[in-house]
Amino acid sequence: MIHFFIYFGILLLATNTIVYFKGFFKNEKAFKIFVIYNAVMLFIQVISLLFSLKGINNIFLSHFYFILQFILLSSFYFYLINHTLQKRAILYTSSTVLVILLLQYIIYPDLIYKFNLLEVFLTSFAVILYSTLHLYNMLNSKKTYYYINLGILIYLFGSTVLFLTGNLIAALNSSKNQLTWTLNAVLYVVYQLFILFEWKKSKK
Amino acid sequence: MKTTYNINSDFVESILYTSTAFVLMAGVLIVFFYFSRKKILQNELEKKDLELSYQKEILHAVIITQEAERGRIAQDLHDDISSNLNIISLNSHLLITKNLTESDLNEISKNIIHTTTKAIENARRIAHDLLPTVLEKFGLESGVKELCYEINQSKQVTLILENKADFESIKKEYQLHIYRILQELIHNSIRHGKAKQISISFEGSSPSLICNYSDNGFGFDRLKTENKKGLGMKNIESRIGFINGTINYESAIAKGTTVIFKF
Repeated sequence: MIHFFIYFGILLLATNTIVYFKGFFKNEKAFKIFVIYNAVMLFIQVISLLFSLKGINNIFLSHFYFILQFILLSSFYFYLINHTLQKRAILYTSSTVLVILLLQYIIYPDLIYKFNLLEVFLTSFAVILYSTLHLYNMLNSKKTYYYINLGILIYLFGSTVLFLTGNLIAALNSSKNQLTWTLNAVLYVVYQLFILFEWKKSKK
Repeated sequence: MKTTYNINSDFVESILYTSTAFVLMAGVLIVFFYFSRKKILQNELEKKDLELSYQKEILHAVIITQEAERGRIAQDLHDDISSNLNIISLNSHLLITKNLTESDLNEISKNIIHTTTKAIENARRIAHDLLPTVLEKFGLESGVKELCYEINQSKQVTLILENKADFESIKKEYQLHIYRILQELIHNSIRHGKAKQISISFEGSSPSLICNYSDNGFGFDRLKTENKKGLGMKNIESRIGFINGTINYESAIAKGTTVIFKF
């Protein structure tokens, strides 16, 4: 079951990367960054899948996943949002988060081989904030990247809670461990469907 | 022992992070709702302000139109009635002068009769312009027919009227508004559009009676502010408002104008 959703999620991500890449050169900066984000995520997911199939521990890839996702989505919102004050807020928040994580890795280098809860928490939450900010901006203006934004909001909040508790369930060695990751894979499929829907809407 | 400690510390850490995430998410939601509400309220306020200023503009237009109409009536009375009455008065005074010959008397009488006829005709025309009697006596259908007849008589433009509507269904107090809207549209087509042909058709019955008006004039750009702010346009819009109707313009430069209104 879980494998079906994981493969389906990756397939959807690959589809999205291809269909969005078609508009890469004729669209604005935010769009370009979103295409890069899709491609990078696809790359990391395929690599980590290969690692896990070969039985190599791929947990250190999670740091690339979260931090790159954070940097790319922050830049996506930075270019998407037009208010100077909000832009500045995004820039400062993202820089602060990166500095905090850098300091954490300098002090505790061992964290590379573990699942870093602070990293999951800070990177996801900052993007949730940007996404809410964009939702607020769209209240009385033209809807831009509406479905992508909703997808990001739903997926990030859901997956953050799953990642945070997932560690706990894993620690308890519960038989329900699999369920968390299945849910996460389902959530990822939903997220990719939102992105695909946005592309379909923009085609009309 | 050590494993238990690790599990415990992971346990506490996970619970702390999860609950913080939920609390923060709730905070984000509350802040989001607070600001969204504020934004929506502000939007509504702006909309109401806009509506109010639009109503003010219409009121202003109505007052200006009224004043212009008064000016026109005053001018008509002065030029067409007073001047004629003056001539009659002068001639009447001449009648009482002594030693007038028969031919003088004849000429003065002729003058008086001629000028009186002119004054009566002018008075009738002014009254007709103010409120067409046919509209009052025989209703909108005859009023519109007469209007079209008069316009066609002027030879400036050919007006085709087609009527498939039930005019009886229109409220009496609405009829004058509809008549005036047509007058204004025809006036615009001739004066601004330099149209050579106008067609008007009515169909259906009130409250979904449709009037389809079109001309082959220059047309106009509906989005231009100078067209939106014209007195005539505002006048039409306020009358449409009075009869609870809707109006739709379709026009482009060099493509004529089509106006459809429903009431």
